[in-house]
Amino acid sequence: MLQFITAILTSLSAGAIYALMSTALVLVWRSTRVINFAQAGQAVLTTYIGYEVTVRTGSYWYGLIAAIITGALIGATIDRFFMRPIFKRIKSGPIVMIAPVVATLGLLGIIQAIIGFIWGLSYQTLAAPVSTDGYKISGTVIAFSPFNLMVLLSVTITMVLLTVLFQKTNIGLALRASAYSPEIAKLSGIKVDAVRTLGWAIAGAAGGLAGMLYIPNSYLYPNGMDVLLVFGFISAVIGGLDSLFGAVAGAMILGFAINFVATYISYKLVFPTAFVILILVLLVKPGGLFSSSKGRKD
Amino acid sequence: MHKISANRKRLFTFILLGWVLLLIGDRIGELRQYQGAFVAMYALAIASIILLTGYSGQLSLGHSALMAVGAYAGALSINNLKLNPVIALIVAALVAGIFGLILGIAAARLSGPYLAGTTLALAISLPTIANQFTILGGEQGILFDIGAPPARFGEGFSQYKWFFWISSLAALIMIWMISNLLHSKFGRVFRALRDNQTAAQLAGINIGRQKAVAFGLSAGVAGLAGGLLVMLISGVSPSAFPLSLSFSLLTGAVVTGVYDLKGVMLGGLVLVAIPEIADSIGSRVGGSDGFTMALPGFLVSALLILAVLFLPNGPGKLLKKKM
Repeated sequence: MLQFITAILTSLSAGAIYALMSTALVLVWRSTRVINFAQAGQAVLTTYIGYEVTVRTGSYWYGLIAAIITGALIGATIDRFFMRPIFKRIKSGPIVMIAPVVATLGLLGIIQAIIGFIWGLSYQTLAAPVSTDGYKISGTVIAFSPFNLMVLLSVTITMVLLTVLFQKTNIGLALRASAYSPEIAKLSGIKVDAVRTLGWAIAGAAGGLAGMLYIPNSYLYPNGMDVLLVFGFISAVIGGLDSLFGAVAGAMILGFAINFVATYISYKLVFPTAFVILILVLLVKPGGLFSSSKGRKD
Repeated sequence: MHKISANRKRLFTFILLGWVLLLIGDRIGELRQYQGAFVAMYALAIASIILLTGYSGQLSLGHSALMAVGAYAGALSINNLKLNPVIALIVAALVAGIFGLILGIAAARLSGPYLAGTTLALAISLPTIANQFTILGGEQGILFDIGAPPARFGEGFSQYKWFFWISSLAALIMIWMISNLLHSKFGRVFRALRDNQTAAQLAGINIGRQKAVAFGLSAGVAGLAGGLLVMLISGVSPSAFPLSLSFSLLTGAVVTGVYDLKGVMLGGLVLVAIPEIADSIGSRVGGSDGFTMALPGFLVSALLILAVLFLPNGPGKLLKKKM
């Protein structure tokens, strides 16, 4: 019973981090129609910045704020000065199909190399602000710690804020409109390009938060968030790539699936499970489990 | 009539190329032979990417994983089944091909970003999976010993020359087969898939099947390249197939011109040259360890972006435009 409850709790906190990553991917996908593979690099770079601030100031919280802000800045910069020129430049020929994806991959490599230049390739540890030792319940230590609780709470707060932003504000309306139909949004006077950059900024901030919440339980190194990129992508695909709710729900499904497999069968099956889920969703319901509206098809 | 002569011309070109390589192999030092073997192996791997991306329009980031599948299959068949190393290389290609075909059936239904993401997931997770199974040797991996060169080649025939021979011969034969394939009905079907799926479907092409076939073929070629790679480094382990290998191959393909098989040798040369260049820059600048180790990745990625931006159709097209 205790094992079961622990599995649920760890699934929730793992799913929460996947949800941040899948949200970031979905935000970019909705505005730009690109899977931003550089997201892993952006997130890990902002986590390095957060780590540096944490080390210098001695406070994780300053690091967290720095990571979120630089995450947003880096995201916006990449869209404005990298992706937009590429889309402007490459308009014809068969390369159009692969150029954006290839560009984000190249960017991922460059970011990871730059991290290597600055911080080296060795593993760093980022201390969590609260204890990462599991809670003790009737004498047994469970795999759920105060830090996991903090992860769960901060992601919940973030998601609530994002929902309010998207559903209750004009900016949110502009974001949704530009994602749904850029042409019509443009006709209604929305600066679609600027809104797109905003989408990238929010995604970058979410990535920074994801890194600061994920790395204390892992290690900080240039490829440290590649795995999270994969889990985020799988979550986003489960959710249909287009919907924020789907991204979170997909992350929770994935979080539960792999944590239950790890708890009850073997941790060796984590990756195969994730991969099988991905393939199954793509084969059976390629539009995702939660896709309601058809939206743009291109 | 015309077609037969074109095929024959291609065969002659490849035989000539092989003869030139044979002569070169006799005249260069061991280090160059070893590097030459790497060039041939990379050229072959890049050819597998071009076959898939350039001709059937599917973008795969998972070719490092497919190479790993071939490499492990080859190593297991040498170590556990005691097969002849040359047969083991064929086994490597076959197993990877079958794996790719199965994957291709799923992939055929995926378009651009989904396929890229799925293959990326494969490339990141497969080494981790390989790590956990004892039969695959875990982190240390397993040996891949191609054996000494046959005694009849004489005493002066070094191991490196043997590597060079096997690698270039395998690459030559395989690339010759691919280029024949691309000039046949298959090639036309693949190009039709890439250029306009709807039109291809109207012309009676079974898109799903052809895409799966293309993926399987490409995976088979990648598997052989993977076998050659681990032959050259004498062992197969998860760390030999990082995600960055997939990136390198993609860079090689884009630099070569994704839509042209002719330049694969150039791509192979670039991939072998980059670590050397990075090394000499690193020693000249005298940067930290992190700088030296991260530099090749930086160069590969920068080249990838620059090539996509400025040479979207490969260097061949640029020359033609200028003339």
